[in-house]
Amino acid sequence: MEIIAVVLLAGLVAGYLVLAGCDIGLGMLMPWVARTRAERRRAVSAMAPYFLGSEVWLLGAVGVAMGLLPELKAAVITGMWPVFVALLAGWLFRDAGLWMRGRMRGRAGRAVCDAGIVGGSWTLALSWGLAVGGLLGGGAVLTPFALGCALTAAALFALRGAAFGAERLVPAAGTEGAGGRGPRPALAAESGTAGVPAAGEVTAPSTPTRHSTEAGGTGPAHAADPGGAADTADTALAADTAARATRPLARAALVAGVLAAGASLLPGGAAPDRPLAAAAAALMLLGLLAATSGLSGPQLSRHTSAAALASVPVVVAAAVNLPVAPVPDGSALLVGSALAPAVPFMVLGQVWLYRMVRRPAPAPGYFA
Amino acid sequence: MFDDPLLLARVQFALTAGVHYLFVALTLGLAPFILFGQLGATLRRDEARMRAVRFWGGLYVVNYAMGVLSGLVMELQLALNWSGLSDMFGYAFGAPLAVETMGAFFVESTFLGLWIFGWDRMGRWAHLACFAVVTATAYLSAYWVLVANGFLRYPVGLRMEDGVAHVADPAALMANPSTLLAFGHIGFSALLVGSSVVIAVSAYHLARRHDPDRMFGRGIRWGTAVFSLALFPTVTAGGAQFALYDRTPPASGLTYGPAEIAAIEAGGRAPGVFDAVGDTLMMGSWGLMSLIAPVLLGVWLLRRLDRWRGVLWPLVVLPFLPFGASVGGWLLRETQRQPWAVEDLLTTADAMTDMTPAMAAVSFTLFTLAFAVLATATYVLLVRYARLGPEGGPLAPARTGGSDSGRAAANPPVHTF
Ligand code: HDD
Ligand code: HEM
Ligand code: HEM
Repeated sequence: MEIIAVVLLAGLVAGYLVLAGCDIGLGMLMPWVARTRAERRRAVSAMAPYFLGSEVWLLGAVGVAMGLLPELKAAVITGMWPVFVALLAGWLFRDAGLWMRGRMRGRAGRAVCDAGIVGGSWTLALSWGLAVGGLLGGGAVLTPFALGCALTAAALFALRGAAFGAERLVPAAGTEGAGGRGPRPALAAESGTAGVPAAGEVTAPSTPTRHSTEAGGTGPAHAADPGGAADTADTALAADTAARATRPLARAALVAGVLAAGASLLPGGAAPDRPLAAAAAALMLLGLLAATSGLSGPQLSRHTSAAALASVPVVVAAAVNLPVAPVPDGSALLVGSALAPAVPFMVLGQVWLYRMVRRPAPAPGYFA
Repeated sequence: MFDDPLLLARVQFALTAGVHYLFVALTLGLAPFILFGQLGATLRRDEARMRAVRFWGGLYVVNYAMGVLSGLVMELQLALNWSGLSDMFGYAFGAPLAVETMGAFFVESTFLGLWIFGWDRMGRWAHLACFAVVTATAYLSAYWVLVANGFLRYPVGLRMEDGVAHVADPAALMANPSTLLAFGHIGFSALLVGSSVVIAVSAYHLARRHDPDRMFGRGIRWGTAVFSLALFPTVTAGGAQFALYDRTPPASGLTYGPAEIAAIEAGGRAPGVFDAVGDTLMMGSWGLMSLIAPVLLGVWLLRRLDRWRGVLWPLVVLPFLPFGASVGGWLLRETQRQPWAVEDLLTTADAMTDMTPAMAAVSFTLFTLAFAVLATATYVLLVRYARLGPEGGPLAPARTGGSDSGRAAANPPVHTF
């Protein structure tokens, strides 16, 4: 019986990491990929449906842990109290920023919200890494190993956010600026038609990009001109920056993962109960990263980053004997029978939501 | 106070729960107005009524955001600060909360997302159906939370095995009288909250002779009708709860004997002042409201409900009564239970996580401050949008004309790598 609860829990956590990876990662990258006001707005409106639809997975996971696997919950959450307080704080500030940003009328209000979104996203990513490191390391979170895990997690989330941004930060046709002011999606257009671009194409696009304009000092200067035309320009630069970031981020994740794997051998490193399984699962994770950082462009990184994040709960489950007790019949009956009628709605709602928001909204909505 | 982790954790829980409930009560109370408003607009294909739905819906979403943020903190606070509760009662207390988050909240939030993002993208009946799901799951959410809370107040259907409580009888847990009575009382009192907010906002605009699409005239009438109808069920269900005060819960005796229970209770009852304040807030404001309702109905009969400023201006502060009563009610219910976290079975002191004073102080300061700021910001926003009216609300339709005219026409291509 407990196997069902464990699979449910792992599934919810994996679903959370895959979906929330998009909005957390993009939130982490906001200072780099979304520099103008229009770009920041677009970034937030890309994140909004994802954060609404993804954090319910995590709450569901917390619910399963509380109701069906209380021993696991006590061991994990109570054992790493500071990490989870940080996680909760990051979650709170990030959500507050996302919910309130569209309601702010002034520059300062939006800046505060942006700070909440960016800081909260980083806090979330790093604390998830620490939590995984702590789980694998037997509860200690201030070890080189756990810190390595935190860096790996941050890079993985950022990678997922970059892949997501490369797709969703392209302005909708007909919005300000998309028609005339800036170059149409440079990298985006190329790789969309030419399939997987070769490495050279990715790093040396032919159309002007933010990096080249900044280096050359010509073209729209982004942050330097508050209130000017550049501040509202809505181009595909953000999408290009994100697309270009996927490769270095995948490499960073690979390096951090290798470092963490190395640190796990140090004294005080990982204390897995099943070393072989742990090694195999970690290898899987690293292999996926290596695949992304190799020849393929941003195209594949959506899938590989998703797979890498989804494999995290698998790594943990394979490596550690977490304290799970058989779920007693009474609770199983209560939860099972109450939940069964909800499942069709859960599936329908999630599929519908994510399908619907593949098309950018025709008009500005609640969040941006 | 900062060197007593137990006191800090209790005050923190009480503050966050109280704030959470203020927002949740409005969610529960406003949802039916929006649902039936949208039903009317959809049946009549009436754009004007739909603009009213967008206005109230904007307030609903701003308020929902804070319900979610505070709910998150509640949930994780239970996990972080009150682990004694889940160590012993994890299966019995945690299971209904698991159903709440997994079933009700998961569906509620997803469908609210569909409703927010679906305004111009789905058929009108599908869009209405989304909000019907949101309303139903909001009440379902409240029911399951009250199964958990009713269990603390009146534990039933339990069996102890190795010091851990197991659910022996799920049906008894779900039909707990403490849960059902509280659900009834809360359902109707939330309607009082919702209708008084609708009345107050409508009255403000009517008093300033601002009634676009005649939406506030409709608002004050519907509000008055629901307000008057909800008053008596509220007091009936509330009074019925007193009957449980003298009953010993069926599960009593599983952990402590009667003598031990009496000794613990002799030492730890909460000061009676809380009860008195809670009682007075509820019954006092109910009394006032039952005087106000006939006045409103009388003015309605005279056909002056949307005109007389002398009546309209005081109505703007009407929501303070049901909101005050709601906080008072919870104050009564929760302090009545002291010194127990689970009546007769687990003391509040034993329910708390072993925390150092420093841990407790960090968590208290961080979350109480964040809460104060967020709740204030949400409140300011709610008042601002309520005063602004339907033009420029968070869900207001995009303005037409100008540079925007081309926007809705083009169905923008999806960009994919
Ligand atoms: C609009 C709000 C409102 C109003 C007008 C009233 N109440 Fe209430 N009351 C609540 C809102 C509320 C509440 C916030 O919803 C509580 C808290 C817990 C609960 O079950 O409902 C509550 C709790 C509560 C309890 C505590 C139950 C317990 O300890 O388990 C009692 C005995 C009453 N109420 C009785 C009354 C009576 C006799 C009222 C009228 C004279 C009354 N309430 C008006
Ligand atoms: C269903 C939801 C609720 C549950 C499960 C719940 C549970 C708890 C728990 C575990 C505590 C700490 C232990 C204790 O002091 O007894 C507590 C304290 C408290 N809660 Fe609740 N609570 C709920 C809703 C609320 C709400 C909505 C309020 C609103 C005002 C509230 C007000 C309080 C107060 C005032 C205390 C402090 C009591 C004291 O220390 O004397 N509770 N509650
Ligand atoms: C121990 C007490 C409580 C806990 C742990 C709790 C937990 C939560 C959580 C986690 C959320 C937001 C979910 C999210 O964003 O992920 C939420 C929202 C909600 N809660 Fe609570 N809650 C408590 C008390 C109550 C009470 C007393 C009621 C009503 C009677 C209630 C009704 C709701 C409703 C209707 C929502 C939906 C959001 C909204 O409508 O604003 N909760 N709650």
